[in-house]
Amino acid sequence: MHEMALALSLLSMAEEEIVRRNCTRLLAARVEYGALAGLMPEALQCCFEALTRGTAHEQARLELVCLPVRLRCPFCGAVFGGDSQDALTTPCPGCGELFGHIVEQGREMILSRLEAL
Amino acid sequence: MQIPVIRNVLEANEKMADKVRERLLGHNILALNLISSPGAGKTSLLERTLRDLAGKFRMAVIEGDLQTSNDAERVAATGAQAVQINTEGGCHLNSGMISRALDKLSLDGVDILFIENVGNLVCPVEFDCGEDAKVALLSVAEGDDKPEKYPLLFNLAKAMVLNKIDLLPHVDFDLARARAFAVKLNRTLDIFELSCRSGEGLDAWYNWLEKARAEKMPGKMRGRTG
Repeated sequence: MHEMALALSLLSMAEEEIVRRNCTRLLAARVEYGALAGLMPEALQCCFEALTRGTAHEQARLELVCLPVRLRCPFCGAVFGGDSQDALTTPCPGCGELFGHIVEQGREMILSRLEAL
Repeated sequence: MQIPVIRNVLEANEKMADKVRERLLGHNILALNLISSPGAGKTSLLERTLRDLAGKFRMAVIEGDLQTSNDAERVAATGAQAVQINTEGGCHLNSGMISRALDKLSLDGVDILFIENVGNLVCPVEFDCGEDAKVALLSVAEGDDKPEKYPLLFNLAKAMVLNKIDLLPHVDFDLARARAFAVKLNRTLDIFELSCRSGEGLDAWYNWLEKARAEKMPGKMRGRTG
């Protein structure tokens, strides 16, 4: 539901970066997001399209890459993961502990690459 | 042209949140971000707290709702300063909205600022509002599996309030189940079972507020720890 705010923020950062390099048209933007980041890819695509339609960036592609969850068990130190928030409550493969896993990766939302003319 | 960048999509919000935090620190104000589903009792908890602790603390409230100033009027009736933000469809508050709302408050002498977020267990968790801590609310009229369904909020919150316990005889809510799951997601979570209607359990919540207020120091109790 908050994807419009994310799309606005993303486009303003992309514009800042391409203007700095004397480009005027955004062709592609890649966002890497963690599986715990609460991002709905379809909704973000839809908002991105709505915001770029009728602008110089109309042709821009949004590439979304989901980063898996990486967790560390605070008790035995084992590192493990999964593709969804269910991993938070999956038993630690090292010692069987069910909860309290520390999130090492999975909450990020990073603009990682742009392509522009 | 290929442009490699590494920028946090939420960086603008987080930078502004840090500014808000700094500004509040300058006035030594404890800021708490209240997050729950619609109807869990955020405004009722504030009404009780503002009335019961009026002699102890100066408190201010920023109310977030899609529409209407009903909630700001309710809390202002207690005598506390209140500012209403209408997001007009937006599902969460962000740090820019908080910054603008702070301009409308007189911050001198304020001890505690409550931010009542838009009723929603998902989006508000992603947007740092510059608070010291998030407080999750859950009412026993909801499902006791909310912490399982929305783990991030309960994982990041410093405290969880289980409201409407006067309804327990009439509902199937299993307090132990809700507590157990929330604590397992967050071992340092402080939990308060209370009823804003009967007043039961409010003392423990008030003690926690007093302690949090006393502990307010730079760098302590950061809301976004994950």
